[in-house]
Amino acid sequence: MRTIVGIVLLALAAVAGSTFTPQVRVFGGQPDLVFLLVLSLAVVSPLEQSVTWALIGGILQDMLSLTPTGASAVGLVLTVFAVDWLRGQMFRLGVINLLVLTLLGTALQKFTIMMISAVVGFSVRPVEIAIYVVAPTMVYNLIFLFPVYWFARRLSRRRATAQRLTRPY
Amino acid sequence: MNGGLGYRRNWRANRGLFLFVTLIACAGLIIASRAGLLAPVEDALSTPINAVSGVFNRIALGINSSAGDLAQIQALQRRNSELEEALAQFQAELVELREIASDYQRLSDLLDYTATIENMQFVTGDVIAIDQNAIFRSITINRGTRDGIGIGMPVVTRQGLVGRVLQVSAGAARVMLVTETTGNVSGRLQTTRAEGSVRGAPNGNLIMGMIPLDSEVREGDLVVTSGLGGNFPPDIVIGQVTSARQAENGLSQEAQVRSLINFDTLEFVLVVSNFQPIDLSVFDQATGN
Repeated sequence: MRTIVGIVLLALAAVAGSTFTPQVRVFGGQPDLVFLLVLSLAVVSPLEQSVTWALIGGILQDMLSLTPTGASAVGLVLTVFAVDWLRGQMFRLGVINLLVLTLLGTALQKFTIMMISAVVGFSVRPVEIAIYVVAPTMVYNLIFLFPVYWFARRLSRRRATAQRLTRPY
Repeated sequence: MNGGLGYRRNWRANRGLFLFVTLIACAGLIIASRAGLLAPVEDALSTPINAVSGVFNRIALGINSSAGDLAQIQALQRRNSELEEALAQFQAELVELREIASDYQRLSDLLDYTATIENMQFVTGDVIAIDQNAIFRSITINRGTRDGIGIGMPVVTRQGLVGRVLQVSAGAARVMLVTETTGNVSGRLQTTRAEGSVRGAPNGNLIMGMIPLDSEVREGDLVVTSGLGGNFPPDIVIGQVTSARQAENGLSQEAQVRSLINFDTLEFVLVVSNFQPIDLSVFDQATGN
């Protein structure tokens, strides 16, 4: 996928995440579109490209949040490396793997932000956040994973086809 | 040349090293951001993002309100009849209160005292984003230092207290909401004048704690800011008491408070631009606390 397309998509996901998805919040939980997009792109892209998406996505998320710039990128980067590690362990990533990655990645992403926020001086309440933010976000992410993954896969296939067609013999 | 490219590929092929370097880069970003070194870049990046957010937010609120309108028509009809009954009752009270207000005005003129609220200067801001991490309850508004906004300024609407400014850039400001679980606001029950401390509850409501046991707390009582602590001006509505009980430690009472504001559908807010929060930490340092 072209870098500019990725940046625009991630920016749109970040903006939608701070405008549209809060309208469907349950407690503090809402679908994390940037996380889902980065996870889906990580499944269909090589590691180096996925890390770029994770960094850009995280920075864009932090632009619209109280967290310091870079805090959201840490969880996304760890998720991307987890996807790469899992891909190396098995022939192909199935639906169950994706679901598990979504659940663990969501928790990892939120707890990393929470820990970094605590380190830089914000006071956080881990138990309350786990119940009222992380758990509902996990459920939402499971629901929204499939459309986002389907979109990322289509995008990746279209790009691969275009590359094959334009490649000189 | 080829050797250089090969080297670049090799270090990225080592997954552990690649992860380490990426995490170090993230840590560098976080430290630079906290130190304020990234402020110009963050400002430049957030300007277009905030502009797009503003447009998206208006669309989102439009869709939300249209969908909500349909669902709320029946509820509104019921509420309307309830309010008509209440109005009749309040009109009688209003006459009485007007009398009291005129007495108060005469007395305050004598004391050369002017209500704080009358001295407030406001800057109106559009809400352009809601914190998507949801770990902190905050919103972003399209007013910043250029408009005279500073850190710590209280943010209100006609329905009451929204929160206070926590971060500010040239053209935008982040407001920590009063429903944030880590924040505390000194509050007072309007009827009994009992003091307490209001904080956000995990479910998005508010809890007023530290209310003395001998104070009467009634359902429907308004909770207003007390002004103690110097962070907020007094007499700004925080919310309405929905229930009360004895606190777990048995030494005070705790009231569930519902804000009159729907924070997920906020469109406009008012920043009290002439209020400077008072830093009381200097006294803690002086006493060694």
